[in-house]
Amino acid sequence: MPDVPVIGSRGRVTGTIGPGLVGEVLLSVRGGTEAFYAYPADGQERFENGTQVLVVDFESPRTVYVQRWLPLG
Amino acid sequence: MDPLILAGVIVGAIILLFILLRTLYKVAEPNEALLISGWGVRVQRSETADSLGFKIITGKGVLVIPGFQTARRLSLDTRGANLQVSCVTKQGLPVTVRAVVIYKVGDDFASIANAARRFLDQQDGMNDTIHELFAGHLRSIVGGLTIEEMIHNRDALTGEIRSSSANEMIKLGLVVDSLQIQEIEDESGYILNLGKPHAAAVAASARIAEAQRDQEATQAEQVAAAQKAGAIRESEIKQAGFQAEVDQARAKAGQSGPLAEATARQEVVVQETRAAELEAALAEQKLQSQVRKPADARAYDTRTSADAERDAAIAKAQAEAKETELRAAADATKVKTAAEAEAQATKARGEASAAATRATGEAQAHAAKAQGLAEADAARAKGLAEAEAAKAKGLAEADAIKARAAALAENQEAVVAQQLAERWPEIVEAGAKAFGSVDHMVVLNGADGVSDMFAKALSLGGTGLGLARQLMEAMGQTGKSAEPETNGSVVPTTTDLR
Repeated sequence: MPDVPVIGSRGRVTGTIGPGLVGEVLLSVRGGTEAFYAYPADGQERFENGTQVLVVDFESPRTVYVQRWLPLG
Repeated sequence: MDPLILAGVIVGAIILLFILLRTLYKVAEPNEALLISGWGVRVQRSETADSLGFKIITGKGVLVIPGFQTARRLSLDTRGANLQVSCVTKQGLPVTVRAVVIYKVGDDFASIANAARRFLDQQDGMNDTIHELFAGHLRSIVGGLTIEEMIHNRDALTGEIRSSSANEMIKLGLVVDSLQIQEIEDESGYILNLGKPHAAAVAASARIAEAQRDQEATQAEQVAAAQKAGAIRESEIKQAGFQAEVDQARAKAGQSGPLAEATARQEVVVQETRAAELEAALAEQKLQSQVRKPADARAYDTRTSADAERDAAIAKAQAEAKETELRAAADATKVKTAAEAEAQATKARGEASAAATRATGEAQAHAAKAQGLAEADAARAKGLAEAEAAKAKGLAEADAIKARAAALAENQEAVVAQQLAERWPEIVEAGAKAFGSVDHMVVLNGADGVSDMFAKALSLGGTGLGLARQLMEAMGQTGKSAEPETNGSVVPTTTDLR
């Protein structure tokens, strides 16, 4: 069990995520916001800055895997 | 037991307990993590239990048993490390980059554990380590970027930083908050030159804009100045007009004084003139009464006496003239009477003479008339007689000519000779006429010469005879073909001969 529940949280891309790149996602954790290194969950998708993404996996200590956030409705 | 002592003991016990608790209970500040290691440390997190031999406390307190456990503090504060790195850009340009990297220990337990294992005893030396680490990373970052990208593209820079440092930062349990490039020292002047075209373009556009604005401003100013001048002109014209009116009114007002004065003076002059006239009239009256009237009286006296004298003289002269006239009239009457008598006598004589003359004239006229009539009758009778005689003579001649023509027809020679013989004196006379008009004739060879000449002259007549003969012949020849009986062409020939 991770010390913070980042999986399932929603974040905003602050560094372009894509294949061959180390992206950055800003997440709300521990009452504040922290930046996490981010990679695309499927390995091929590319997310530009400002895109909303969903954290689907976590790798300690500060790496998350994201996919595109699909808003309901 | 003394209650005072009891109270003191209680207080002392409380103080002892406080000091004990103060010594044993460790509290983690918000910016630090407590790392508890030693006896009886219970690791509650399952996934890290096997590896993590210590306890991480953040934001709360924990009781530490002295001697068996130890508590260490790891600062979670932000740290800054200054970097100064000589590196080469992607274009091969040498630059010196001065930067600052802001980093901290990650807030999650994994990062804290990683950092604690590496830096717990050398937290002050962390900056040196980071400096070395980021100097290398910065070289790789700068080597992967162009100067333009470093200057303009922050995203590329941060992306490069993440790409090159992410794994190592995870290993060290650190988080890079930011990396600021403070200065890029460019020995080759690339950046300076890079900015020059843009600076020149900006300067040019600024100058253009300034010139355009200046032009517009100047135009606006000039338009405004022109309008201002127009307004000033209008105003001055109006002011001049008003001033002229004011001057006119003022002049009029100024002239009214002298005008009134002149009018008054004119009145005075009129009155003075009037007075002078009156004085003159008075003087004239005085003169009349004192000088002229006596003079007139004297003149009248003189004139009257002169008139009287003159009338007397005239009357005397008239009387003399009358006398002379009467005498002349008497003389004239006398002469006239005599003349009239003479005239009467002359008239009577003239009339008598005229009557005598008229009677004589009439008698003469009657006589002349009778004589004329008689003469006329005589002349007529004579003319008739002559005419008859001429007629008879003409008929006789005609007969003679006829006979001669007949004779001619028969014997031309004889007729011509006869004619010549008849006419011979006339011919000789005609020949002698040639000498008739000669005043002085000098004959060179005496009487023979004269006879020669006459012979020649007469031979001219002879020649004329010959000519006549030839003519006759010619006529005879023609007369044979024509009718010789017609004397119409013969009579003129004979007339010519004559």
